[in-house]
Amino acid sequence: MQANLKLKGLLVITLLPALLLYSFFVIIPIFWSSYYGFFEWSGLGEATYIGFQNYMEVIQSSVFWRSFKNNMIIVAASVFGQVPIALALALMLRKRNWFQKVVRSAVFLPMVISTVVVGLIWGYIYDPELGVINAVLRAVGLESWTKSWLSDPSVNMYAVAVPIIWNYIGPYLIIFIAAIQNIPSEMEEAAMIDGASGWKKLIYIILPNMWTTIKVAVVLCISGSLKAFDQVFVMTGGGPAESTEILATYMYNNTFLVYRYGYGSAVSTMIIILSLILIGISQLLMRRKNG
Amino acid sequence: MKKALLGLVIVLMLTGCIPNADSETTNEETSGKTTISIWHNFAGDDLRARKVRDMIASFEEKNPNIEVDEQAIPVDGYRQRISTVAAADELPDVFLTYAGSFTDEFYHGDLIQPITPLFNEHSDWKNAFLDGALEPYNYDGELYSAPVAMSATSFLYYNKDMFEEHHLSVPKTWNEWMEVIEAFNQQGITPIALGNKAPWVAQSTTFGAIADRVTGTEWFLNAVEQDEASFTDPIFLDALNRFKQLVDKGAYADGANSMDNTQAEQYFAQGKAAMMINGAWSLSSLGASQSEEVLNNIGVTVVPTIEDGKGSGNTITGGPGGGFLLSSKTEGKAKDAALDLIYKLSNAEAQKQIAESNSMVMYDVEIDKKNVNPLFYEAFNLIREVEFAPVYDLYLTSEAGEAVNNGLQEIMLGGDPEKVAETIQKAQASNE
Repeated sequence: MQANLKLKGLLVITLLPALLLYSFFVIIPIFWSSYYGFFEWSGLGEATYIGFQNYMEVIQSSVFWRSFKNNMIIVAASVFGQVPIALALALMLRKRNWFQKVVRSAVFLPMVISTVVVGLIWGYIYDPELGVINAVLRAVGLESWTKSWLSDPSVNMYAVAVPIIWNYIGPYLIIFIAAIQNIPSEMEEAAMIDGASGWKKLIYIILPNMWTTIKVAVVLCISGSLKAFDQVFVMTGGGPAESTEILATYMYNNTFLVYRYGYGSAVSTMIIILSLILIGISQLLMRRKNG
Repeated sequence: MKKALLGLVIVLMLTGCIPNADSETTNEETSGKTTISIWHNFAGDDLRARKVRDMIASFEEKNPNIEVDEQAIPVDGYRQRISTVAAADELPDVFLTYAGSFTDEFYHGDLIQPITPLFNEHSDWKNAFLDGALEPYNYDGELYSAPVAMSATSFLYYNKDMFEEHHLSVPKTWNEWMEVIEAFNQQGITPIALGNKAPWVAQSTTFGAIADRVTGTEWFLNAVEQDEASFTDPIFLDALNRFKQLVDKGAYADGANSMDNTQAEQYFAQGKAAMMINGAWSLSSLGASQSEEVLNNIGVTVVPTIEDGKGSGNTITGGPGGGFLLSSKTEGKAKDAALDLIYKLSNAEAQKQIAESNSMVMYDVEIDKKNVNPLFYEAFNLIREVEFAPVYDLYLTSEAGEAVNNGLQEIMLGGDPEKVAETIQKAQASNE
């Protein structure tokens, strides 16, 4: 009993610095920012209290909801793009031979490139005049398919989502490979004896054993894509005419381009609320599936 | 043991998180050396930036008892960095500003003090500024800065060979312009290079000039004040429709909204487009990146006039550019040193040096043709024969400026000018 208490004390003390730093730099600013949301403030001069006006404006702003919708496209692209692709690759690349290691590194490579570089590279790939995509389309005679990928509002949101998928497959691949390798070999042997192979083995042995990992990956995916900013910012800056605006770029543009710090703070508070709701929903859905 | 650990944690927290109070002492040190801080955006490797940095270095050299703490911040982040330190009330002693609303905010926030004594002391210097150069920095009869730049945002650059080859003459009127655009389109040549990824470009370089020709300057200034003029007026709608006409005529390449301004400059310089409307900054960047031969082949003029418009046709959007401001908190010896530094960076010698690094100035100065690139020389002479018209985003609230920027992109994507006008009006009215 005594020893147990001591251990708890030690835990508290060792966690304290991290906890304090975290609340100092993350939790408290969140509340500060929601407080700033009640003011009309240009960053310079006096701030005036205006009650819930900023928050009402956010809710009524069509651009905010368009950004939210665009952000949902990125969430969907990540959850239904990154996770399945990473899973499929993990199943194919779980052996430790030379070839598979090379492929694995290649898939992981984009992850270690700075996201700004990723944005620039894809900006060039999509370039209507000099870009690879249009050049290939022209070369194979599909001239009519060429587009200005980043400025045509009917496709640009999807065009923006592709590099984000490409960028972040790596870490999920590593997580999944680790999860697959953690499945006890006795289980696989037993399955083989029972005659389960191929798809059956995948569905009854491998996937159920990885389920918690996949769940974590999906949550990481959702929260990660709600935070998406850098690639979009570099490729389009949210434009043209706010057609690729996502939540973070909308917040950034309002705070730092239009100098409405109060409104920007209200937007970021709304982002936090929406993110919490989404994470909650995804947790609920996954729990049910699991049960 | 437990207590010791806790103590250690607290010490770590204190040293790590609470800023050291000693580091923010006053400017004067006991050693007799005066330290002044200066922030500016001459961070690049272009000729002007290097010259300004050299001037600061030589100032420090000549004044051994003054220490200059200099921070050069890249242009893109400059305004934001200054706003942030201003919000935290930690402005440097001397800092570069832009004419217009940016300076207004410092003035209204009591963050700056006048440098009028400097002008009284050097009256020759004061009188050599061009007409209207000091206007933006004049608040209630006191002068707060001396411009070290001129912003001219709407030169029409054209490729001489291409016009000659297709037997076209440089357009002087709107109708001629439309004909030229059509002619180039028929040849499969992009008529006008535009890089509007950062959406201020179309507004600052093209639309401001067109709108001024249609509405006249007075209407615009009234609309800014929301004084018997509104951005939903038919006359402004006409201006937006003119821009739409350019777009519909195919003046711009397809991906203009995803190309950045530098790319557009290259596109034009490589002869892929016949014209480009861009600011004086292109004079320096083209000067730095292109060969003499390319530069000689580029002509520069004003945007064509609009026959039935209310504005004078012979204008370029622009006016006095940035200058150095003095923080209101700088006093005593530091203030004297700061005034000296401001003078050193904007006196006749400085203006000449800046002009000869291929940048426009608002100061009456003769430049040596040999020291500048041919394109700049042509533009430098052109600018003396034209009048200035207001740059839209320097006068509008930042919100309305954004509304114009985004609205023009919308029009380029087929949007409705009437709706755009409404959004602009709403944004400008909301700040009154």
